[in-house]
Amino acid sequence: MLRGEHVMARMARGRLIPHRLSQADTRTLEAADELCELYASHVGLPRARLEAALTVAEEELGPRLDARRGFRIVRALGKLLEERAGWTSPTDADPYTIRTRIFELASALPEPPAEEPGLLEAPTREGVLSQVASETGSRDPATLMYADRRSAQNLESFERPSPEQLITRYNVAQAQGVMYSARSLVVDIGAEADARLVFHYVKLLGLIYDLEPTKRGYRLRLDGPLSLFGSTRKYGLQLAKLLPGLLLTAPWKLSADVEWRDRSATLELDSDSPGLASHYASPKELRERDGDVREAFVRSWERAKDTGGWKLEAGPGVLPFPEQKTALVPDFTLVNQDGEQVHLEILGFWSERKLIERVALLREAKRRGYRVLIAASENLGTSPETLEEAAKGEVIPYKNRLAAKAVMEKLSSR
Amino acid sequence: MAGLDPTDEVGPLLGYALGTLIELRYESGTLLAGGLSPGEAPPGPFVWDGRTRQWRSPASAYREAALAMRESGTEYLDNAASFEKVSLESRVAMEPRPYQREALAAWRRSDLRGVVVLPTGAGKTAVAMRAIEKVGRSALVVVPTLALLKQWYSVLTDAFGTSVTVGLLGGGYHEITPLTVTTYDSAYIHMERYGDRFALAVYDEVHHLPAPKNAVIPRMLLAPYSLGLTATPERPDGGHDLLPDLCGPIVYHRSPEDLAGTYLAPFEMVRIPIELTVHERYEYAQADAIYRDFLQKHRLPMRSPEDWQRFILVASTSHSGGRDALLAARRRREIQAGAMRKGATLETLLRRHWDDRCIVFTKSVEEVYALSRRFLIPGITFETPARERKEILDRFREGRYRAVIASDVLNEGVDVPDAGVAIILAGSASRREYVQRLGRILRPREGKRAILYELVTSETGEEFSSRRRREGFAREPVV
Repeated sequence: MLRGEHVMARMARGRLIPHRLSQADTRTLEAADELCELYASHVGLPRARLEAALTVAEEELGPRLDARRGFRIVRALGKLLEERAGWTSPTDADPYTIRTRIFELASALPEPPAEEPGLLEAPTREGVLSQVASETGSRDPATLMYADRRSAQNLESFERPSPEQLITRYNVAQAQGVMYSARSLVVDIGAEADARLVFHYVKLLGLIYDLEPTKRGYRLRLDGPLSLFGSTRKYGLQLAKLLPGLLLTAPWKLSADVEWRDRSATLELDSDSPGLASHYASPKELRERDGDVREAFVRSWERAKDTGGWKLEAGPGVLPFPEQKTALVPDFTLVNQDGEQVHLEILGFWSERKLIERVALLREAKRRGYRVLIAASENLGTSPETLEEAAKGEVIPYKNRLAAKAVMEKLSSR
Repeated sequence: MAGLDPTDEVGPLLGYALGTLIELRYESGTLLAGGLSPGEAPPGPFVWDGRTRQWRSPASAYREAALAMRESGTEYLDNAASFEKVSLESRVAMEPRPYQREALAAWRRSDLRGVVVLPTGAGKTAVAMRAIEKVGRSALVVVPTLALLKQWYSVLTDAFGTSVTVGLLGGGYHEITPLTVTTYDSAYIHMERYGDRFALAVYDEVHHLPAPKNAVIPRMLLAPYSLGLTATPERPDGGHDLLPDLCGPIVYHRSPEDLAGTYLAPFEMVRIPIELTVHERYEYAQADAIYRDFLQKHRLPMRSPEDWQRFILVASTSHSGGRDALLAARRRREIQAGAMRKGATLETLLRRHWDDRCIVFTKSVEEVYALSRRFLIPGITFETPARERKEILDRFREGRYRAVIASDVLNEGVDVPDAGVAIILAGSASRREYVQRLGRILRPREGKRAILYELVTSETGEEFSSRRRREGFAREPVV
């Protein structure tokens, strides 16, 4: 993430356009690569040296990139590279102990320690230092006394990105930077997008949402608890952190209400905006979970001759629980001619903690009058009674694959 | 999609209504009232939140909400406040000065909510300590800088360390205890998680509170009691009008003139011009000529930090002489800052005042470490950890350390005990900063006359900076 001072955007008719670097521009690629090289070549060296080199780079590379904003671009790129750096202490000695002893000894002298030995044999700096050296066994106490400073840390590791990766990260970071000043966010999410993923991040970031179905999916309005009492930029950071999450799925379109230099402005982005890609790893628990069972079920459903008037919807419905800042996104949603909706949730391989959360949500969905069928694997580590209770009897046990027939039987059982 | 009636109210745990009792709950900087039947509104400041179908108010309305419930005879269950009673008895004998006692009494008369205005050096901290002791419940202290964070940590640990552990939030620390110190920046980010834990909020340098970001902090706190401290409540943007709402009205006001002589020690100011050596002067003149020629050629003014940035920009993009001008500018600054005689003069002063507790101020952090290495006296900067900082200042107070060298961190409101001599090596031309720095050695002490030295390199830009400082000072005397 960038700091506020690195963020650049221009305003055109009330719309904010975050600063962007082009991956097609040779000079930009060269500059990005030079910075990566600068970091890589400082592995094993102190931070202070790297920072001095970066300052020189700002003055040399900056104006080449952009006459006006080159400095800030280079500084911002440097900041993003720091996310990939690991640091370590340059010494095993304890600098605190060394300096404390030095100060104690020096302070006990009748006059300040002299730099050079004089005729009067006044106490010298060298005298203090060599006493500390022999007491602590460290060779160069004057150097070590502040070896725990940040600037003395050594660059231990650097995960070097390609110049293209760095530029993509920069473009996302600039858009995020504009969002730091956002008061609220409206996201239109297509039915094909992974809604579970979106709500995973909404909950993680503690945002409050308002959900409204649209023709092509649904619309989320996002802000935070205090926004009710007047718009605030308090949740800008959380909103900004949502962006890389959104970038893991498609299609979507967002519009942020931003307070930019004391004026109201809008930031608009969508899943097709050029030069943006996520640097988040998609959350483990959502990755390919029960994917095989789901695919097999879809195939089984498509092969079934008679589905009793029930159709499988293109994307699952979203059951909003806004007061818990989350939503239940089932695996499938089925609908019949009368418009009756039934949701189907497949519980295959879940960790116990996640399962408890999930069952609580399913129970709540029931309470609110949604019809949710639960297909539970026989390998699931939970008692059948708990599920029966939560689903009010609408549990479909399965062994390896879930057959369309089993679901149909339950559908018509009411 | 099936939905709920929008007025269908949702209780705390997955929607099970509690029945007759209203339940107050804290959530992310806000207060929720639950357990009402559909269509029923709770008394007090609550607003219906259609997004989550709950009755909600800012956390700051907690006191008002509780009073409204009581007045209307509504029974309620308080699951919001999680502050505790803490037996806080100061270990440090604090005999308050009369005006400190008056300030505290005025604050109590104002229902433990209000702002106390006292000049720098008059012991605002002592007033806060008494307030914390009096309230005897979990307290949060909010301060503007990391230096003050560490300073408050030290003072609170001294006073209450045996009864509670003092917590820190900000500057790399994240430990919340019933007595926690935090910065405005960290409070803004994190208080929505901890806003239910404190009964009293103390805002140090409370003139920072009305800034748009900071004004969100009190809204996220349930804290029914608050105390603001400052020497200068006025803000150029008129934001001080918000103070009564954010922290309470000004309940007590004393100016430096009110307390001068009686409580603040007089001091003497000595300005020492540092002349460059012949060699330095020659080099400086050369660098200066190249630099000024460039400024003139490109018609660049040099009055503000922005002008400096502009100079760098023009110089680094210019084809003729830009690079030389940049190097010259840098060299010029180096000579100014590192003048050899400055170091030698400092050595003389340290020698002269080796028994008088010297504090040396310099603007540059790197200079602190360089001088600390050269003279083997402890340095304090924003990098110094809270515990070590406390230790250094404690030892300085006890006389175990004779001198301390510090960068700007000892500025605003930071309490340095009984320094006899202050030496300013370099500083920006800010009047406010200057006055506050002076405040550091204005601690009253028997038979004491403090001396303030200012070392300024002559024939260089620093002279102008020093003049600006003193002009500002002359307009508004502190003593």
